[in-house]
Amino acid sequence: MFISTLSPESTSTMSRFNCAVPVDEYLADSNVLFYLSDAVTQLLEHKEEYTQFGVIRYFAEYFSSVKNSNHILFREYNYIRATPHNRASFIRVLWRCYRQIGKSGDLLSMLEYRSLLQLLCPDFPAEMVQSAARIVLMDDAIDCLMSFSDFLYAFQLQFYYQEFLDSVLMIYQDLLSGKSPNTVIVPTSTSIEQLPSVAAEDNDREEQQQDGVEPSTLAQCIDALCDRFKRSHPPRSCMREALEQTDKVSYYSFLMSLAKHEAINQTIEVMYIQREGVAA
Amino acid sequence: MADKEKRRSGTTPTPPGMPESKATKSDSDREFLSQVGVGELLRGAILKMIEARSDDPIGFLADHFCHLASVTETGTAGCSDGDQLNNGPLSAGAQEQQHLNRALWHLRLAHHSQRSAFSNNVRVAYDLLNLTGPRRRQGEVPEGPDGSCIDTPTGGGGVRGGLYTQTLQCLCSEGGVPASTSAPLLQRLHCQDHEAVPHDVFRHGVLTCAVFSDYIRQAQRLYAEVCCPDEGPASRALCLAVLGTLKEALETSQGCDANCSVNANNPKANSCLEASAKGIRYLEASAKISPYKLAQAIAGAQTRGPGGDMDAKEFENAAAELFITRVKVVS
Repeated sequence: MFISTLSPESTSTMSRFNCAVPVDEYLADSNVLFYLSDAVTQLLEHKEEYTQFGVIRYFAEYFSSVKNSNHILFREYNYIRATPHNRASFIRVLWRCYRQIGKSGDLLSMLEYRSLLQLLCPDFPAEMVQSAARIVLMDDAIDCLMSFSDFLYAFQLQFYYQEFLDSVLMIYQDLLSGKSPNTVIVPTSTSIEQLPSVAAEDNDREEQQQDGVEPSTLAQCIDALCDRFKRSHPPRSCMREALEQTDKVSYYSFLMSLAKHEAINQTIEVMYIQREGVAA
Repeated sequence: MADKEKRRSGTTPTPPGMPESKATKSDSDREFLSQVGVGELLRGAILKMIEARSDDPIGFLADHFCHLASVTETGTAGCSDGDQLNNGPLSAGAQEQQHLNRALWHLRLAHHSQRSAFSNNVRVAYDLLNLTGPRRRQGEVPEGPDGSCIDTPTGGGGVRGGLYTQTLQCLCSEGGVPASTSAPLLQRLHCQDHEAVPHDVFRHGVLTCAVFSDYIRQAQRLYAEVCCPDEGPASRALCLAVLGTLKEALETSQGCDANCSVNANNPKANSCLEASAKGIRYLEASAKISPYKLAQAIAGAQTRGPGGDMDAKEFENAAAELFITRVKVVS
């Protein structure tokens, strides 16, 4: 319900006029059952603490914090990545907490950013931070320092659209190894398990980095992927624009231009602005 | 929902070889949950949520539980005085405010486009506000866990005029309409304090305010489309063109929707019915202003028209006026 319906054609007001949306779909779109389930699990794990003011008050607090995007603070990584709303909330909290770093203009290393993330989420994995750093540094010299805003834009893109970008990477790998676009298998979101082997090809990738692929070919494959992809993906127009500019495009240069695209920022931002009731 | 509770408690019945503690933990969990009434609570919440089909299910649940929590908390405090007349702990004024808050909560549950749900909620809110004077027992004798009101005999012969006006004011301000913009509308709709407001007038007023709030928000969005905040207020010509399109949309929205269940014999009710139905049309019409039409209007405006700028406030007031002139004065 959040990111995937944000394309200009469909507005959220449609659901009010369309009561034909079946109950299952309505419940699934908002991930409500997930939150209810988590609320009860948390309640069971902290019985004494949470029943102090009554169970109703506990649920009121839980859902209020979900609504206000505070719920992800100090929670485990699996919870934070579980729903689009959680991911966007985490990005927002990240920005809110560390805004000062951006203002002061300090440059930090990847490990330092990871530490900052772990302050908010104790088990935040290094790989995610590495992926974000690769976008900023164009896969080069990962030890370099990065500015906060560069990192945040890359991180937001990588974290929010993780599954989609992994699929795009697979397509890119296939194209790079010479497969024709017609035989490139469009991966579904369930084929993520294959990824660890891709990461091992770091050295090869660096050499191939110079070459890149035909932007139009990549655009074609990405379009096909969007048609089938069940989860959120960046707006197609942004991706098309990011691919228009060059003759040859590499995976990281593509992500880099995508990360800088204003519309991406707005798309992720709009959700938590809407949540606070500010007119768009 | 029992299967859901099982899932949440974690484990299925112990396979052989697993330690006893797992089975007892899930049993004690289940016992704890049923003890505190979680199943009923969540079942009620989900049912309400599905009925309301709000755009923001999480927000809806948050409001629902907050409301329930405050009702339970004040209810417990009130009832502790036992069987006495309830005028002790809460003054009549505070009680009225409480009723107002709860009535407003009911009115927020469903959008006005969801006719039957909205009508039900208006009825519940009306009954809540219709209670006049002291009652036998504190009104907060526990509502069912799903928050519905227990059937009480309607006390007075109508909602107090002042309370009705207050309800409308709250609806407008909660809907994001500044007081200055809604003032002319309320002028037309309000009732004197000593008057007793019947249900159809109440319904008409509430519906008009709900539609008006949506309309004003839409107008604000329209203004945002034609104006870039960095470049200062939008040009007057542009705004007038957009207002013209809005007016056109309002004028072409005709037709009477006969779905309301108001007593058709009452001529006053008929006019209210018509106005309410038109109100609903207004919003649907303004939503239909297509980007193409807007672009046309904007292109036309750029070649002619008065100079100068129009700021957001002026635009909003002008749009409000277009709406309000069509609202019949409540007499």
